Amino acid sequence: MTRTAWKFPAAAGVSLAALCCGGGAQSGAEERQVNIFVWSAYMPVELLDAFRRQTGIDYRFDLYDSNEALLEKLQSGVADYDMVVPSDYMVQILIAQRLIQPLDRSRISNLGNLEERFLDQPFDPGNRYSLPYLYGTTGIGYNREKVPEPVDSWDVLFDPRFGGRILMLDDMREAFAVALRLDGQSGNDRDPAALRRATERLKAQKPLVKAYNSGDFANILESGDVDLAQGYSGQLAEVVRKNPARFAYVVPREGGTFWMDSVCIPAGARHPAAAHALIDFFYGAEAGAKLVNTVHYASPNRTARAGIDPSILSDTAIYPTDETLGRCHLIEDLGALTTTLDESWTEIKAQ
Amino acid sequence: MSGDWVRRALAAATAAAYVFLYAPIAILILFSFNAARQTAHWEGFTLEWYRRLLSNELLLHSVANSLIVAGVTTAMATVFGTLAALALARGRFAGRAATQAALYLPVIIPEIVMGSALLTLFGAVGLRLSLATVILAHVAFSISYVAIVVRARLTGFNRSLEEAALDLGAGPVGVFTRVTLPLILPGVVAGALLVFTISIDDYIVTSFVAGVGATTLPLQIYSMLKVGVTPEVNAVSTLLLAVTVACIIIAQRLQRAPGPGRGV
Repeated sequence: MTRTAWKFPAAAGVSLAALCCGGGAQSGAEERQVNIFVWSAYMPVELLDAFRRQTGIDYRFDLYDSNEALLEKLQSGVADYDMVVPSDYMVQILIAQRLIQPLDRSRISNLGNLEERFLDQPFDPGNRYSLPYLYGTTGIGYNREKVPEPVDSWDVLFDPRFGGRILMLDDMREAFAVALRLDGQSGNDRDPAALRRATERLKAQKPLVKAYNSGDFANILESGDVDLAQGYSGQLAEVVRKNPARFAYVVPREGGTFWMDSVCIPAGARHPAAAHALIDFFYGAEAGAKLVNTVHYASPNRTARAGIDPSILSDTAIYPTDETLGRCHLIEDLGALTTTLDESWTEIKAQ
Repeated sequence: MSGDWVRRALAAATAAAYVFLYAPIAILILFSFNAARQTAHWEGFTLEWYRRLLSNELLLHSVANSLIVAGVTTAMATVFGTLAALALARGRFAGRAATQAALYLPVIIPEIVMGSALLTLFGAVGLRLSLATVILAHVAFSISYVAIVVRARLTGFNRSLEEAALDLGAGPVGVFTRVTLPLILPGVVAGALLVFTISIDDYIVTSFVAGVGATTLPLQIYSMLKVGVTPEVNAVSTLLLAVTVACIIIAQRLQRAPGPGRGV
């Protein structure tokens, strides 16, 4: 019994020491490793394996489920990631907090493959810190068998006929964007009176909403638990592609959210050269096509189009038309107003 | 007649409680064999999800991480927790009362505060996040559980047994291994099992302190929610459940077997 009792701490000590030092051994002149922190189902392992074969750079990657989780990790200053993929408004916050570093464009030879119209966005003018990775829209996915007429307005999410059959994203800014647009305002409106009206609208909607959910919305729609779901294009497109007779995705006429996730390199990353190599790899024609064919989100990579499954390119739920994109706006960081909005959102959800 | 009625009502209430406790687990196991990808409907028996699970590198990697973390945490927390319980039960030192009170803090403190505090601490000392920081965090909140359970076991401890052993010529080490430890072993094992289960399914603290390559099973499952739970998750949960139940059965068998100290 004594022997086992003593063996445990010794073994634990050895493995702890091994784990502590494991990461440190990598840093040399040659960067043989890249540590990635990314949304789930956003970076196919097969592609990373191809990158490893091509460059000899090994990868390790972990997943996060919200921009805020990413922010928290980077703020600790000891996260050790070399590449992250925050959404638009979070890029702005990360820049302001000096948590990401400027990109070295000379190391990204495939930069020219990116479509101009997705560059130079308000959250990072001139793309000093970020480059677009994938993009999409926020709209409505619905069950055509249960919703008789084609949906073309956010109004339908406030229709008592569908009470208890509606799902909203559990996302304050997306919810307010809907209410504000129905009021004829922009989704980024800062007018207190408009925000007050939006709050009242969302409060009145609450009894009709079956669930507020940002993770599982596509499955909930698919399984028939709701008939109308606000949601992100990629996941809803997946549901529609499986059963186009039964489901449809639409960006309502009032307009929706255009979102864009960008690749960034955290400040103090230990393998910046490897991270640049990986970014360059993803912007290649072949890897870019493989990426879209696997994850079913739209890519700003122009040269990748040739290799992308035509049925994906022509699917407007995945690749929105120019007309649709013209109606959509990025969510902007509202600064101090976020706190006020947060209070209203809590009020709505708590009532 | 009325006594019979009461007994039946109690039996029904007990049955309902057990159904309430175990129905979700039974459904999870059942659906891990479901042919349908959507988890809501039954479409026939399949082992497909177990096959896919074995080729899902990410999921397997996270299972391995969870087992390493839970294993090392259990070993370390059990040793330190038991030592702490012994010191608190028997030691006479300055600050003993305060130490005892502080023991309960990690149990009471909200996990989110614990996670945030640990992350700040690691940041302040410049300790790079990794699997090791996850283990450190788990050990930090687990020691208290073991100490509290073992401390309870020590309350009714008859010290004359140890004195008798000393009288009969045993050294201090011999007394500990052949008298003290066997007597408190049920408490130590219970504490270890408790810590193992807490560690293997911890999400909140882990999500704060996990570093590169340190995604544990709960983190992996939670991030998979983003694209929907596949039956693979049910399959891995079922396997994990089987391992845990096996551990508990083995531990109970070991406890029932007469130990060297039982004859005293």
